[in-house]
Amino acid sequence: MNIHQRLLGAAVLLVLGLPGWAAAQGGASSTATGISRLMNPSISLNTLLLGQTSRDIKTHDANQINLQEMEIQFSSIVDPFWTADLIVAMHPEHAHEGEEAGTHYAVDVEKAIVEYRGMPRGFGLRVGKDFLNFGKQIPLHTHNFAFVKAPVGISAFVGDHGLTETGVDLAWNVPLPWWAELNVYATSATAVIFDGTSRDLAYGGRLSNLWDTSANSTLEFGLSALTGPGAVHEMDGPSGRWNMYGADLTWKWISGTTTGGPALYLTNEILLPDPEHKEGDPLGFYSHLQYRFGRQWWLGLGASVARDAEPEHDHDVAEVHGLRTIRQVKANVTLAPSEFSAIRLGMHYDEEEDGDFQDLGAYLQVNFTIGSHPAHAY
Amino acid sequence: MKTTMKRIALLAVAVFAIVANAVPAMAKVKVVATISDLGSLVQIVGGDDVEVTVLCPGEMDPHFLPAKPSLARKLGQADMLIYNGLELEVGWLPLLIRKARNPSIKPGTKGDVDCSAAVTELLEVPGANVDRSEGDVHPMGNPHYTLDPRRAVLVAHYLAERLGRIDAAHAAEYEERAEAFAQDVAARSVVWKAQTATTAERPVIIYHRTWAYLVDFLQLDVVGEIEHRPGISPSPRHVQELIERARQMDQLLVVSATWDHHHVSTEVAQRAGGVAVVLPAQAGAGGGTGNYLDLIDTICRELAAAGKTGE
Repeated sequence: MNIHQRLLGAAVLLVLGLPGWAAAQGGASSTATGISRLMNPSISLNTLLLGQTSRDIKTHDANQINLQEMEIQFSSIVDPFWTADLIVAMHPEHAHEGEEAGTHYAVDVEKAIVEYRGMPRGFGLRVGKDFLNFGKQIPLHTHNFAFVKAPVGISAFVGDHGLTETGVDLAWNVPLPWWAELNVYATSATAVIFDGTSRDLAYGGRLSNLWDTSANSTLEFGLSALTGPGAVHEMDGPSGRWNMYGADLTWKWISGTTTGGPALYLTNEILLPDPEHKEGDPLGFYSHLQYRFGRQWWLGLGASVARDAEPEHDHDVAEVHGLRTIRQVKANVTLAPSEFSAIRLGMHYDEEEDGDFQDLGAYLQVNFTIGSHPAHAY
Repeated sequence: MKTTMKRIALLAVAVFAIVANAVPAMAKVKVVATISDLGSLVQIVGGDDVEVTVLCPGEMDPHFLPAKPSLARKLGQADMLIYNGLELEVGWLPLLIRKARNPSIKPGTKGDVDCSAAVTELLEVPGANVDRSEGDVHPMGNPHYTLDPRRAVLVAHYLAERLGRIDAAHAAEYEERAEAFAQDVAARSVVWKAQTATTAERPVIIYHRTWAYLVDFLQLDVVGEIEHRPGISPSPRHVQELIERARQMDQLLVVSATWDHHHVSTEVAQRAGGVAVVLPAQAGAGGGTGNYLDLIDTICRELAAAGKTGE
């Protein structure tokens, strides 16, 4: 054994032995591995279980008990310069013809972002993958929806799972007498509305304003815009630029004097898809009312419309061709015994204007969270 | 051309000199406090040298403050953020800090002040095996330490030190005010304990563990809790068992905070033959509790009055 081999052996022994030695010294922040657990990120897991049935749609997708989604989230400060958030979601893939529904699961990275900590006052910079900051519904994670599924006025145009893209988002707290936040972003363009093969980026922006209308109530008004390379359709070819505009108005009132006291939220959002080669006059709209009538109880009522929507984004009725207009009404009641679990019972009725399609459905959803889950935005 | 440039430069220098002289050596320190108790304490210590904004009004349960972006706007203008810590504000403060985008109050900076760092002998620190089957337990201990005036004194001294780091010119004044507060508390503590001596002899049921530190200070005799798992609505069975147990006790008091569900505490008191007392749990929760000392005065006065009922 030459000197180099001895040195190498000694180095290996030192590397293998040091953690054990350090652990034996009983360092307060060390584990048996010699790595501090104090530096671990906050970790949480949210699971949505869904049982649903439909009077009119006979597919297994619409009549089953299944895992609706499972999200694993990690959040941490990276170093003096960045904080990071990562969310990995698993959900059943839609069954293709001849396949049994609910047997395959897709894994999506919904969020993988870092936020720079050193921006000057009022500015924020985020880099990575996240839901596009467009309107109120699209940025929501599934377990934070007001109803089990996204309103048809949104999902008919952008799908059920929102729009996630990778890019850069610059935020500015506009110095106005009320809360105003401006976001502009440039991202990849791979979502269902975009041409995923294009080298062009998507660009968007949102201006959100919020006023305190009383000590316990707020009014929020937002404007959003998005543009990117439009999806290429098999039949019709390239659709040119995909442009989309939106506006939202939300009023919230939360009792300030009793823990878990009554609360009332009214959310309205309009979506105006405006592709370069558009057919018809597409428009999406929804209105959601959420009312907390007991410490643990919520009631939800909703109405939505998708006008002149292309059918391919709605997998349940993929056989339908041509533009269609769908109206939807829905209601639910939610029991949330703690901040970490909830049971939601609801029903919806969807009907196509001038068409045969209708769907009366009911669902029961169980929602639970374990671990250290960050609070949801207001 | 050169002459014009020189004149403009001289004018700019003159304007700057005038403006610079007009600005005081150190403007007021802009302090944002998460809860009104801390807002009151920092106002007592900071005096006229601080401008205080409180995020959670006194009448609102600080566990559940809605994280309104308008509150982030207030944080965005702060030189210093003082908060309770021990995860009392975990449901809303991290969101607001992130939204405020204010480097002055980022964790680890001079403007980031966790007041729990000053508090010794935390109560109800759970063991290593804590989990959520016990409810919304705070893993680092009960966070409601401001309701103990002795611990409030520790916080006041800590605030003086932290204000002094940001505004060194007034550091001595901050410490003087904190010391004056400590002496005031010492003098009043004698009165507060004498006032509530009778109450301390009666069995007390509390709604939530908000009162743990006050109980420790006044040496009250707590025999039960309505919300037996923190943050979880009490089950009818638990309430019934509590009533059955409470019926065996003489001169029972049932204490709840202004934001608790009073109909439950009233029912327990009525069916057990006791007296329900609703107390302000934070400064500014109404009824002459504008500042911290008024709050403790009010609590002790109302406890004393309740302690005399049914004698």
